[in-house]
Parts: sequence; C-alpha cells; structure tokens
Amino acid sequence: MAENILVIGGGPAGLNAATMLSELGVKVTLAERDSFLGGNPKKFKYKFLFPDMQPADDVIGKLIKKAETNSNIKVYLSSEVSDFKENGKKFDATIKSPDGNETKTFDSVIVATGFEHFDPARDAKYSYQLFDDVIDIKDLERMMGEGNFVRPSNGQPPKNVAFILCVGSRDRHVGNQYCSRVCCTVSVKQAIELREHFPDCEVYIFYMDIRTYGFFEDLYWKAMEEYDVQIVKGRVAEITSGENNTVICKGEDTLLRGPFEIPFDMVVLASGMEGGPQSSEMAKKLGLELDEHGFLKPQNVTLAPFKSNKEGVFLAGACTGPKAISDSITEGGAAAMDAYIYAVKNH
Amino acid sequence: MALENQEKRPVAEKGEHIIARHLIEDDRIEEEKNLVIDGVDVSGRWNTFILSRVDSDFDRSFFREIKDTVVGSRINRCWQCGMCTASCTVTPLYRRFNPRAFIYMMQLGNLKELKKYVDVAWRCVGCYKCSQRCPKQVNPAEMMEALALLIKKYFPEEVESKLKVDENVKKIYEDMILGHGRLDLAKLHISSMQKMGRTKELIGKIEIDAIFKMVKDGRAFSVLRLSRPHNWRKSKEAMENYLKNIKTIEQTTI
Repeated sequence: MAENILVIGGGPAGLNAATMLSELGVKVTLAERDSFLGGNPKKFKYKFLFPDMQPADDVIGKLIKKAETNSNIKVYLSSEVSDFKENGKKFDATIKSPDGNETKTFDSVIVATGFEHFDPARDAKYSYQLFDDVIDIKDLERMMGEGNFVRPSNGQPPKNVAFILCVGSRDRHVGNQYCSRVCCTVSVKQAIELREHFPDCEVYIFYMDIRTYGFFEDLYWKAMEEYDVQIVKGRVAEITSGENNTVICKGEDTLLRGPFEIPFDMVVLASGMEGGPQSSEMAKKLGLELDEHGFLKPQNVTLAPFKSNKEGVFLAGACTGPKAISDSITEGGAAAMDAYIYAVKNH
Repeated sequence: MALENQEKRPVAEKGEHIIARHLIEDDRIEEEKNLVIDGVDVSGRWNTFILSRVDSDFDRSFFREIKDTVVGSRINRCWQCGMCTASCTVTPLYRRFNPRAFIYMMQLGNLKELKKYVDVAWRCVGCYKCSQRCPKQVNPAEMMEALALLIKKYFPEEVESKLKVDENVKKIYEDMILGHGRLDLAKLHISSMQKMGRTKELIGKIEIDAIFKMVKDGRAFSVLRLSRPHNWRKSKEAMENYLKNIKTIEQTTI
C-alpha cells in the first residue's frame, strides 16, 4: 500500500511538493483554503516574474496542471485542516471542505501555507487607501495583469511615478525588522515595465538599500542603465495630497542632506511579506514553533531548513520566511524528499 | 576664494534681525529696503522672508542634457557608491569638491545646490583614478568635464565673478607658452612665492645647496636658457591665430 502524505497549501511550494511526491507513487492529499490553486501569485494575478519576465500564468499554470491531472493527488479546495492529532509516528488529520469532513491517517505532513502581503494601510504615514494614486506593488502587478496601467484616480497615464522601498519591512515601527527579500527586485522590474509602457513617464525609486541579491542585480542595473530609472536615497516619511491631483512625498535626501517634498502622479509602495494569520494558526493546530518574526520556525535554519520542530512535519516555501517563487518551488521539492524519507521509514 | 569671503563676512546687513542669522544662507533671505503692500509701509525688517530649504522638484531636463553629451552619456549608471570621491586626488585638498555629489545633483537637476560649487567644480585635475575604479564605468573624470561645461552655460555670472583669472599668472603663462612653447617652472615658482610674500624661502639652505649642485653639473644653464620646441615659429603662428579667432568669436556672440 502506498504512503499517504498531506500537503497543506496549494501555492508554488505546495504544488511542487505534491507533484513530486505523486510521481514517486505517493498518495497525496492537497488542502487549499482558497477556491483555486496557485497561491498568492494566482490570487493577486501576478503578470510577469523576475528575473526573466516569464509570464506568471505559464509558470504557475504548469504547476497547477501537473497537480490537477495527476491521479495520485486528491485536491481539496476551500478547505482547512480542522483537527490534527498525532497517532504514534503518524498523524490523523480531519480536512473540512464544502463536501463535508474527512479524516485520514498520514505518514507525514508538509506545511506550505505561504505568506501574506503586508497591508500598507497599517502604516498610516503612507496614506494608503486614503489617496487613490497611492498603490502598492501587488496592486500594480494586478493592474498590469489586467492591462490597466493608468492612474486609479483619473484613468490618465502617469507623468511621474515614485516607488518607495521597505514598506512594512526593516521597520520596528510596524513590528517587522526583517528584509522581505523580493520587493526591491519586484520594484525595479515594475519600474522597467512602467518605462516600457510609458516612455515619457519619469520613474524614481526611494531607497535605503537596494537589495536585488545575486543575479537579480542585472535587473537593477538594467533599470538604471537602459531605462533611466532614477534612484534617490532616503525613506519617505509622509504622503500628502498636492495641487493638480498629485500626491506629495515628503522625505530627506540623505546624500545631499536636503529635505524634499515632491509631487507625483502615482506612488507605488513596495510592501513586504508577513507570516500572516495562517502561520500562527498552523503553529497552534500542529504544535509547531513560531519565530520572532511571525513565520514558522525551522528546526535548524542551516542544516534542516525544511524540518519543523515536530518529527514528521515539514516546512516549505514562504511560511518560513520571505522568499522568491523560484525558492519556494525549490523548497517544495526538498521538503517532499524529507517527507518521503520519513514516510517510507515509518510506513 | 569665495569660501574665504564667506567666512570673513560680518553678519550681513541682509536679514540682520534674524536671531540665528548664521544658520541661513544669504540667497535664502528675501528682503526689500522699501516695500509698500496695499498702502501699508512694510519697509525694513518687516518684510524679511526666509525661503524654504525644501526641494519641490526633480528636474530631469538637466539630466537629459548631460546624457546627450559624449562625456556625460553614462550619467544614468551612477548609483552613488562614492568610489570616485574616495579615490579623488582633489577631495583631500578641497573637501567641497565631491564628484559623487556633483553627479547626484546633475541626475536630479538640482541646480540650486550645484550653484554653490561654481568655484570648486572646476578643480578636477584629470588623473582619471575615479574612472579607473568606478564599478559602473560611469567615467566620473569626464563627467566633471561635462559639469564644467554646463556650469559655464547655466551660471555665466557666477563663473565671471567667482573665477577671476589672476592676471599676473595669466601673463606669465601666456608669455612662456607663446614665447617658448613650454612652461618655465622656476619662473612660476618664483612668482608664486613672491605673491605669497615668501621670497626669503627662495634662498634657504636647501635651495642654495641645490643651486651650487646645478651650476656644477650644468643643469642651471639649461634651466636659464629655456629652449624652444622644434619648428616653433609655425606652432606659434597657429596658436596666435587660434587665440585671435576665439577672441573674435567671443566678441561677436556678446
């Protein structure tokens, strides 16, 4: 009889873990809280993925198709794990779906519950939701996905746009000390897309550090050298409304030690990633440990980044910290391997 | 020169009623001797205004102008790491000469700020250490050239008033270049020491020893009899023609 493995979360990490396990002949149960597979990239309609501008639908679409067409994977949509108990070295879990409750015994469990976008409205200085023309990177991504690049306030193309980095990241004031890793790269990617779409639109990026790590640096260089995106050093402390339907960014240019109050047509906040309520919920239900940042804590960040503090429960993707989609897919595969080994040993 | 003047200036009459006057730059104070608004006399201290330091505009037209020049075409590459200023020969001598900051001001079109550096922006000696070390190949040395050209274009008055040519030095230079085709370093040295009132130092022990040595090995005579380059007459004519042309161009444009 084949092993049974539960994968919680149908985003990039969960989908890849489920697919790989199914190809090993494992019976996989995939529980997803939303009514669709694909996780945040699907939910917020990401358009193109950095660094090579692959259409997000191609990448996520392939993963979804693999999972949906595989007979070894049973997908439960709009569902949640309502009950979770240890049963020797195995686990009894009840999955609550619109079709009713179903309790099964699993050899091992992969948690891939992902992240939540930081809600910039929580940081009042950015006036998000107060002004129509202050949006964040996930809003812009969705607007681009819908082919709708224009200013939300009046439907006109913007003449100048400011990106503000580190919104909800690296800021004790909002309670998040960590770097969210991908927002810099997403911002320079979107800056390039904006410049491509509106060659006359000036694009500025207000930054403290630009952390386009590894080869993502190429994208940052490209934004400057080929698209004349101007970076300005300094964090913006206040966004107010200005004349002619503009929004004014007030901040300090730390390189020239000069205060500025510059009007823009549109401001894009590079909001970060958070563990979200699902991380603490999983921690409570499954008896896992949370770290000080609100993400699930691996047993050993270097040696066993996919193992949780509980034997037989494995972690993958952005539930353990901010991650790029490619990292999540990699971790899905790695956690699948760990979960498979555990399941085979104790089957 | 401009810096010295600023330091020596007593509290200016302009804005003298402002308590912390030393914190405010001259050009940020607006004051009219005699002013009547709506029939009310607000002459004197009543109409003192201090302009805000806040920048309210990024002017990219300046950036585009620089980018269109051959020497400034890579301005969009600069990410302000400061490698140029760190390797600069001039910065340790003139702290206000900061290539990194100048490039930034050019990127953002901050002419207000650039204007303050008209007197030092020309100090680049062209050693090219910055261009050799720049991680983004911005070529800051040539960017400084672009800057100098634009400063001349945008602030002709400041250039005129702050960059006065020392007529003495100019004459020595012209005489030497046109007369001999090369610089006479001894002559320049003597003239500069005279200007600083340090003529006594010219005949110190080290100098006298050196003179004896140079007389002995014959170098002294070659220094005194400054020779001319080969075929000098033709070169001299070409240079004089060039100078004449420049003068007529300047006169006609004015």
